[in-house]
Amino acid sequence: MKEDIQRRVFNYLMKKRIENFVGVPDSTLKYFVDQGLKKNKIIIATREEEAIGIATGMSLSKSASLVFMQNAGFANSLSTITSLVEMYQIPLIFLIGWRGYLKNDAPEHAKIGAIQPKLINTLGLESKILTEDNWEKSCNWAIGKIKKGMYCALIIRREFVD
Amino acid sequence: MIRSEAVEIVAKTLSIKDIAVSANGFMSRDLHGAHDRAANFYMIGSMGLASSIGFGLAIKNPSRRVYIFDGDGNILMNLGSLVTIGSYGPKNLVHFVFDNSAHESTGGQPTNSASIKINDIAKVTKYKVFMVDSKSKLETILKKIKKINGPIFVLIKIEKSKYVSKRIEIEPKLIKARFMKAIRNR
Repeated sequence: MKEDIQRRVFNYLMKKRIENFVGVPDSTLKYFVDQGLKKNKIIIATREEEAIGIATGMSLSKSASLVFMQNAGFANSLSTITSLVEMYQIPLIFLIGWRGYLKNDAPEHAKIGAIQPKLINTLGLESKILTEDNWEKSCNWAIGKIKKGMYCALIIRREFVD
Repeated sequence: MIRSEAVEIVAKTLSIKDIAVSANGFMSRDLHGAHDRAANFYMIGSMGLASSIGFGLAIKNPSRRVYIFDGDGNILMNLGSLVTIGSYGPKNLVHFVFDNSAHESTGGQPTNSASIKINDIAKVTKYKVFMVDSKSKLETILKKIKKINGPIFVLIKIEKSKYVSKRIEIEPKLIKARFMKAIRNR
């Protein structure tokens, strides 16, 4: 996703009262995270599970929260999603970078990239892929979910190889 | 001093405004058994994350103290949490680690906290660190920390024990709902 759209996605979510952005960086989400750093709104955690824990404490305080991560970190987080977020029904937006979306991505991204859609389905995690055309509508969908006390995921595809 | 005794001594000092988060396993059971209250968040699953949940709560509720009931096995699973908490330095966060150098909830298997001191790690991450190994010292420290700013770390040395508190019967969604209601007026 292009730089200007990523920055607009961040600004839009902030304008719509998402107050906390906690996570572990991903080059797929580089400009989104950078925009948040500029606004002094980002907390960088040491691991994704930690980020989910911090955001949970914030959500329990009625402060709307988003957790950003790579899909490798999403794989790390499965137990936290099932035994914390799902079990207590914590309202949270996950923003996940889809590494391994392109077939010629680095080898460490290949397997997780291939199974990511199935994993998300198996978890019962409702999700939408953010594109340059639908991002505003998809952000509104996610905000609607957490307002209803639910959790959901937004996915950004990695459309480049570095 | 065994864990349930130490947990009870700490829990009895919680005031009505205080928020508490307890680690999974016997820690949450002990807190529930000693002093069940709506402003306790019993983290039943997600081992290691009590301190992170407590950190998120501390940032968003600056006028209340947040007390974390953690175990040695739990914090060793999420040492990065000490780095994050220490670098943000929330003044209202108090972190208790009940340390028996064992994973007591899973049958008493050893942790490495006997050879690497968790209180030493906490010191490097800029907590104000205290260590106690008796009921009387614990009671003294509890009075003292009421008057100082956090982040505070209290390592409580406890003995292993056969005593097990009873399982928490409250549904997780109800634990959450009553907790959110109790801390709403921030």
